[in-house]
Amino acid sequence: MIRRVLFNLMAWAIVLAVAFPLFWMVVTSLKPQSELFRRPPTILPEVTTFEHYWRLLSETNFLTYFQNSVVLSVVTTVVVVSIATLGAYSIVRFKYWGRESLAFLVLFTYLLPSVVLIIPLYLMLVGLGLSNTIFSLVIAYTTFALPYALWLLRSFMAGIPEDLESAALVDGASRMGAFRDVILPQLLPGIISTALFTFILSWNEYLYALVLVNSDNTRPLTTGVMNMLISSFNVEWSLLMAASVMMSVPLIIVFAFLQSYLTRGFGAGGVKG
Amino acid sequence: MSNSGNGKFDVTRRGALKGLAASTVLATLPVRAWAQDVTLRWWSPQGSPDQVAAYKFQIEQFEAMHPGIKVVFETTSDEGYAPQLAAAFSSGEVPDVVTHLPSFAVASYYANGLVEPFDDVIEAIGADDYYAGANDVFKAADGKYIGTGIGNTAANMLWLRKDLMEAAGVDKAPETWDELRAACQAMQGGGVYGAPLPYGRNSMTSLIFIGVIHQAGGQVFTPDLEVDIDSDATRAALDFYASMRELCPPGATNYSWGESLTAFVSGASATGIYAGRVLANVNAQNPGIANSVTCVTYPRISTDVAPWTFNDFPSVFIPAQSKHKDAAKMFAAFLFNPEGYIKQLHAAPGHVLPVLKSISTNPMYLDNAIIKAYESEVDLMASAAAGGYNLGYESAAHKSNDKGGEVVGSGVIADLVQRVVLNGENADTVLGETSKTIEAIMKG
Amino acid sequence: MIKNKQTKLERHYATLGMMLIAPTVLVFCAVIVYPLVSAIYLSLFDIYTPTLQGEWVGLDNYRELLGKGEFWASLRTNLIWTVGTLSLQILFGIGMALVLHQNIWFRSLARSLILFPYFISTVVAVLVWRWLFNDLYGILNHLMMAAGLIDMPVDYLGSMPNAMISVILVGAWKYFPFVVIAVLARLQTIPDSLYEAARIDGAGPVARFFDITLPQLRDVLVVIIMLRAIWDFKEFDLIFLLTGGGPVTSTQTLPLLVYKEAFSLNNMGMAAAYAVAMMAVMLVFMILYIRKTGEKDA
Repeated sequence: MIRRVLFNLMAWAIVLAVAFPLFWMVVTSLKPQSELFRRPPTILPEVTTFEHYWRLLSETNFLTYFQNSVVLSVVTTVVVVSIATLGAYSIVRFKYWGRESLAFLVLFTYLLPSVVLIIPLYLMLVGLGLSNTIFSLVIAYTTFALPYALWLLRSFMAGIPEDLESAALVDGASRMGAFRDVILPQLLPGIISTALFTFILSWNEYLYALVLVNSDNTRPLTTGVMNMLISSFNVEWSLLMAASVMMSVPLIIVFAFLQSYLTRGFGAGGVKG
Repeated sequence: MSNSGNGKFDVTRRGALKGLAASTVLATLPVRAWAQDVTLRWWSPQGSPDQVAAYKFQIEQFEAMHPGIKVVFETTSDEGYAPQLAAAFSSGEVPDVVTHLPSFAVASYYANGLVEPFDDVIEAIGADDYYAGANDVFKAADGKYIGTGIGNTAANMLWLRKDLMEAAGVDKAPETWDELRAACQAMQGGGVYGAPLPYGRNSMTSLIFIGVIHQAGGQVFTPDLEVDIDSDATRAALDFYASMRELCPPGATNYSWGESLTAFVSGASATGIYAGRVLANVNAQNPGIANSVTCVTYPRISTDVAPWTFNDFPSVFIPAQSKHKDAAKMFAAFLFNPEGYIKQLHAAPGHVLPVLKSISTNPMYLDNAIIKAYESEVDLMASAAAGGYNLGYESAAHKSNDKGGEVVGSGVIADLVQRVVLNGENADTVLGETSKTIEAIMKG
Repeated sequence: MIKNKQTKLERHYATLGMMLIAPTVLVFCAVIVYPLVSAIYLSLFDIYTPTLQGEWVGLDNYRELLGKGEFWASLRTNLIWTVGTLSLQILFGIGMALVLHQNIWFRSLARSLILFPYFISTVVAVLVWRWLFNDLYGILNHLMMAAGLIDMPVDYLGSMPNAMISVILVGAWKYFPFVVIAVLARLQTIPDSLYEAARIDGAGPVARFFDITLPQLRDVLVVIIMLRAIWDFKEFDLIFLLTGGGPVTSTQTLPLLVYKEAFSLNNMGMAAAYAVAMMAVMLVFMILYIRKTGEKDA
């Protein structure tokens, strides 16, 4: 019994240590400016204030950025996961020339550093007349999200017993019918898990967003908040921390609902190379 | 059931997926169709909420005067404007007016044919109204102007706390390095550090140290733009900078403008090195010390060397690829219209200083709490900034240096400081390498 | 006759399979292959970034790069960072997954808290850590001073080796939850019967870990290590925002060098050459890795 208590205490000590930056972020965002630069710092705010949150929401473009980020991440996720699901199905369950090397190519594209992709990508987007739109970022984000999504879904797909599909085919279903009725339901945890990862990646991306869009109407949270609050003259720490808390809230909510999928999905397919 | 029969259904399902994607695409496309005849895009890295409010006022006034022209203000990132502008220039999707970039960045763009000559706009603003020589820094090798200053900034003023000086028995503002060191030593203690000099790997360290080289009587380039950094003056500057290290906070090795400013404003350091922004920030964030804050030009090696003020000459310029140059020029000139211009200056009182004589004496400009309260400081900064230089323009005798931006951007000068001061490497070796690196940049 | 029909069906399937992969291939070509080819093409020129105009220099950029100390120094830094942060991620990730697999109090809350660093944006993570590390108002220095561990505030980001250690630690903190997720998922699928059999054979917890858990985790680890190694090697945001490559160039990894060449020095050609070289290095490591892990499988 004592061993169990000790183990629990130790485990929670580590968990809290890992989560400490999160706690400090919240605390800082609740301190008034005058308390921020106190030395030594106060652990808990002497005066709790929500003024920073209020200022962000009422005086700045925070909500616009927030909305952009939501649209951007949702669209990216939908596009990437749709393409990748079909692609993964094809790679795993169909036989045709070049299938094997395709899987390797997917991995290879992973090696490209995004710093170099930026300028050619930007030129292409301008050529398409898409510069400075949220959609240009959607396209840019597929460069890193699609290989990963395909990779993940491929292993989930491989984890679904082939017999199920064969049985459906014997019963007279077409390939796509079997895909819809048999594969998709089985794949759902994998799709949700992939969607979560894609969403996280696009919600948090910084470099592309910095270079590819330059108007407050299309800017997502990451660059919007940085541009607004960090400049040569000032780092607005309290506003930054408040913004950080609010940027993380949607992910916490999404995560709270879907947490089990994230791990369950991984287990079902087993991440196979 | 045949396969082909179901195949049709499959196709429609695929179609549905595509349709879904397509409709979301539409939702994210820009609403260009509603735009007015001419839309000007205005970029600036200075986008604090107060400044943006002033810009909005100017835009509204301008739009009211010129129906059919719409102006959109867009903030660029302070550290990240280079890739943003690079992307814009290479694609041709350029902003029509860009403000607040340091003059040497504009010089680099001009040298590559990316910037529209600005002479006619300067005429429209009133060439006589500028302080004498105010536009020299913007004169390109071909004799044309590449832009003009939207304000002056005296970036390396020495900020002092009169209360701490009194308590430590420092009776006058330091003029030389020895005096500065002595004063910092006297005031350091009890959690207060002497100075917040930047030792980080960033542009502030580069820019401030260029100033220190000049305050030692040296220079980075000769007037003919030969590299001249490997000199005794630079060695003296490095010695001074190293000797100040123990008087700066431990984290100064990573300081840039924001940290340095905050250290002084919060009272963590007894002196500061910054532009006029200190005034507004002290009043807002630490009003307790507001009455004891003052500034002088930064000390130098001896009183024989003239003070050297770093002015990054925040600029206005018009990219050559702009599709609405005439409108852009009209708007650029309008930015100096007294009412709006003064609003803009007041958004950062004492920080961005007027470039026009008529504005400095305009009662409307002087009618500001901070400018009134710190009249002598603001005057001093105005004159120091007007006589200031930067790496694109080290002295009145220097040719215009269109590689200044690259030299600062490469971080080679900050590296010099870090290697010699922090890592204790041999100054001669490092200076030799620094010279070579700068030469390579000048050639490349 | 039947055979013929089979092949017809197979051919039909192959076409369908191609149709399904088509969008993927299309997107790949547009957003990845095209920029990749441009990058290689650009690396053969001497190019001013804002105009993308320049002259053909052939392989000169590569010759210059290989002769330059900066490339090798950055490569070394890059390897130190990758190996350092990756091993911490893996070790800590496996450890934490094992703990979270146990029935501890408020397990799902603990899981959420542990996974949190992975979900917040790098920008946020870096800002929070810079605030924690702050020399004057940072809580880390304060707590350590209060505990009597240090007399003077530690300079976490501006001196060596502190800067490298800090970057590695923040990287590990940010990305170890990814390992936790994958390992935890795999742990849940290991049948309990295996452990019971081992227990009957008298194996202690340590032996059980090495004899059962680790071999079961092998597949998943092979993949995670590769994915994370690639990501860590390419990491830009975290290091750029945390130290900017400093002090001097001590934490300047290759992606930062590429950024500097491209946008501070306006040398797009050279930047592209660095990037291509960087890819080549990664490719070599990847092939070696796949060979190595593949051999053991066989």
